[in-house]
Amino acid sequence: MSVTDVEAPPRPSPKPVRKPPRKPRPAPGSKRFSPLRVLGSTIVWLFTAGNILVLYWLLTASFKTPVEIFTKPFDLPYQWFKVGKPFRNFIYAWNNAGFGEAVLTTVVLVGLATVVTVAVSAPCAYALTRLGVRGSGPMTNVVAIGMGVPFQTVIIPLFVVLSKVHLDNEYGLFVLYVALSIPFTVFLMTGFFRSLPDELEEAAALDGASPMRTFFSVMLPLTRGGMITALTLNAIGLWNETLLAIVFLKDQAHFTLSRALFTFYGAASYQSEYGGLIAGVAIVVLPMLVLYLVLARRIITGLTLGAGK
Amino acid sequence: MATVTTPATPPARAVKAGAHLSRKKRLFWPFAAPALVLYLAFLVLPTIATVVLSFTSWAGAGDTPEPNGVTNYTQMWASDSFQYAFRNTLIYVFLGGIGTFALAFLFTMVLRDMKGGKIVRAILFFPNIVAPVALGMFLGFVFKYQPGKQGLANYVLEGLGADAAKFLAPSNVTGVVTASLIWASSGFYITILMAAVDRIPPYLYEDAELGGASPWQKFRNITLPMTWDVVGVAGVLWTINALKIFELVFVLAGPGTYAPPNEAWTLGIYVFDRTFGSNGTPDFGAACACAVAMIALVSVLVVLLRRLMRRDAIQF
Amino acid sequence: MATVTFSDTTRFYAGVDRPAVDGLDLEVADGEFLVLVGPSGCGKSTTLRMLAGLEGVDDGSIHIGDRDVTELPPKDRDTAMVFQNYALYPHMTVGENIGFHLKLAKMPKAERERKVAEAAAVLDLTEYLDRKPAKLSGGQRQRVAMGRAIVREPSVFLMDEPLSNLDAKLRVQTRTQIASLQRRLGITTLYVTHDQVEAMTMGDRVAVLKDGILQQCDTPVGLFAKPVNVFVAGFIGSPAMNLLETTVDSDGAVAGGTRLPLTPAQRSALTGPGIVVGVRPEGWTIGDGGFEAIVEVVEELGSDQYLYCRDGDRVLTVRTPGMAPWQRGEPISLTPQPGAVHLFDAATGDRLPDA
Repeated sequence: MSVTDVEAPPRPSPKPVRKPPRKPRPAPGSKRFSPLRVLGSTIVWLFTAGNILVLYWLLTASFKTPVEIFTKPFDLPYQWFKVGKPFRNFIYAWNNAGFGEAVLTTVVLVGLATVVTVAVSAPCAYALTRLGVRGSGPMTNVVAIGMGVPFQTVIIPLFVVLSKVHLDNEYGLFVLYVALSIPFTVFLMTGFFRSLPDELEEAAALDGASPMRTFFSVMLPLTRGGMITALTLNAIGLWNETLLAIVFLKDQAHFTLSRALFTFYGAASYQSEYGGLIAGVAIVVLPMLVLYLVLARRIITGLTLGAGK
Repeated sequence: MATVTTPATPPARAVKAGAHLSRKKRLFWPFAAPALVLYLAFLVLPTIATVVLSFTSWAGAGDTPEPNGVTNYTQMWASDSFQYAFRNTLIYVFLGGIGTFALAFLFTMVLRDMKGGKIVRAILFFPNIVAPVALGMFLGFVFKYQPGKQGLANYVLEGLGADAAKFLAPSNVTGVVTASLIWASSGFYITILMAAVDRIPPYLYEDAELGGASPWQKFRNITLPMTWDVVGVAGVLWTINALKIFELVFVLAGPGTYAPPNEAWTLGIYVFDRTFGSNGTPDFGAACACAVAMIALVSVLVVLLRRLMRRDAIQF
Repeated sequence: MATVTFSDTTRFYAGVDRPAVDGLDLEVADGEFLVLVGPSGCGKSTTLRMLAGLEGVDDGSIHIGDRDVTELPPKDRDTAMVFQNYALYPHMTVGENIGFHLKLAKMPKAERERKVAEAAAVLDLTEYLDRKPAKLSGGQRQRVAMGRAIVREPSVFLMDEPLSNLDAKLRVQTRTQIASLQRRLGITTLYVTHDQVEAMTMGDRVAVLKDGILQQCDTPVGLFAKPVNVFVAGFIGSPAMNLLETTVDSDGAVAGGTRLPLTPAQRSALTGPGIVVGVRPEGWTIGDGGFEAIVEVVEELGSDQYLYCRDGDRVLTVRTPGMAPWQRGEPISLTPQPGAVHLFDAATGDRLPDA
């Protein structure tokens, strides 16, 4: 059949220039406004509004007098502002309730504890996942199980022993914080180390690096994200930790923030010092909020790394 | 015809791999020891000590432990406060868990298609970074019943024309705590579930759409089975954490310096109370017995949960 | 009667001014195997998805048979779709995957299982019914996806690049299986691919799309023999047709040393001085003047040989019989065979009337 036998086909007709619609139509049948979706959205927005309201209430109440707190919970504070002492509640909490000292103690204690925890856990996690020793798997599981042990189950023996060696103070607490954070941190870091490719270690070995060198110069930097996540999550957890602080800290001068808050609670309701109490709560909560806002993505990625697998 | 035999792995290669690996292995103990020693000394040994001590009677400092068989256990089981504590803990674990996960799934499905879903998720996560002590105080304040100085909840109720309620009355407190728990925890589980649901390929939902699946059918046939493993892990996390609840309830339901009424107790509060003896002398033996009960309970629940959730791993 | 008719069907994507599919007018006959082909972004998948009901239609309409399905949800359209990555549910067995839509439609179990068994028999999957997709090979998974589609006995089959995830050899094998299956079942099928070889070998008719606009819808022979513009000419056929832009003088189109005469009709159809001469690699006569070129690359395929020859800044592709003695650097003269020439206007790209 030669070319000339076939009919010349019609050319594509020129199209008029179309104006794009403001929003393309959704797929048919996708019920945008089904009752289920509306109900779900309503609940979600209620919750979100609730949470934002809580934050608003906390911030405003920390500037209010007790009367204002109870009678005008949602209004903006004005009483202390009128008298020219807007930060009165915070100053009270800082000085009278010992929050000022507690901040220092907590920052140092938590900071050191998280750093030491990661410093001790990262090599352990590396050893358990990449050094190919028999029994590493079961050993990792044994360590991970430690996450399930409630602190209540160890306080008595620890309390007794630490009292005997006179470490029932912030130093003993420091060691405890490190030891009790190890299961979670090791577990988290094993997840990160496991995800690193073997080829990197092999390449380093071929380049003549000693195993120690390989760890410090190659593997560790790659898990930087995991370490930051571990530091952050541990910091938040230890900042907020109260039970052990109650058991082991008895000298008010050396209280952590949550410990101070716990004591303040009893005293404050007795004296109706609600403004100061809420300011104290704000002092405990706000630094973590800032940390969270800065590192939210990291925290969430770290948590979901295990979940997503 | 000559037979061709597969040559064995050349020995030179095997030796080299062995040398490298054994050098690596030498690092094992130096690297792992510090963490493992701390873990052993401060978690494993004390736990064993607690188990041993639970069979003694010991009134704390100034007294010595006297073995007394299973007296601690029988007494504990018979005591009202333990019964309440046990019941409450189970309620928080089960009801709280179901409520939290149901809410988390609901939120996940809604937030997926919502603009700004990620921001909402971040806002909902907020209660997780707040110290449980502070949360407990805040909620204690919210649910306060004191005419003239009502808490937030009653303020709103009265504003709407309803009567103020005694939220923290012993008969109501468990319900209030459960609700508070669900509120405070859902953000965390929403985050985890969202990550798992995000991994489900969208074309599976498209295929279900072509088959005429309703939203419930899509959930049951796609979302739930494909996040099952993650739900299992999250469930274990929840169980462990729910069992440990202490500060939240202690501060929420009680005046703050000493324990709340018995009806609000959790196992954690029971241990704390027996350690510091709010009703007289401390009773370390009883505290240890309860602690052992906690370990036993968490182990049983976790094993049961894992058995229930077990399924062949699916890859996708 | 399961015909498919697109009338001025248009689809926009958010934030993009140019429509993804612009005023498509296309009719698919009952039982026809129509292939939608074109480069990425041409709108072929969008067209398929609009027909399936997964995308909304912004303008125009779609009919299946006599029914206007433009606003109908997917499940009411009586179509079945095979996705590019198969969309198999990893936690369900092969049997459950195939029967899933029937289960959604609440078909009783016995009937459902019967249908699944029938479909599995047709596709050679009976021994795999209890396996999960993870334990299947790529070709088997593809068949499961097909099974899920055929078990619904729809009016229209939709296939979105179902072979693109298979290796070359398997692709050729599966191609023939799909084509013969469709012929046996006689169901109207719309098939999307970017591979013009698939299009040419499988389709009763092929619709070529570019930038959302239908270029030509014709039988494979028609597309090959009478491409309606430069794009279709260059797209269909492998290796591609040589498209040589040149000028026209009083004797005709300039073709190196020779001239190609133009009819008055062709001359008047020209919109400017430029003309595109299209010659397929097998349409050259070697020797006798014409284009003078130097052989740059010799591709030896055994049965055929392809020479890539350079003439200035043009590369001419020539097919010669296999194992011919051509060498790199040899000069070569190429004249288009009379009757093997396609002429296009350089400015618009449209085909000039045939001589």
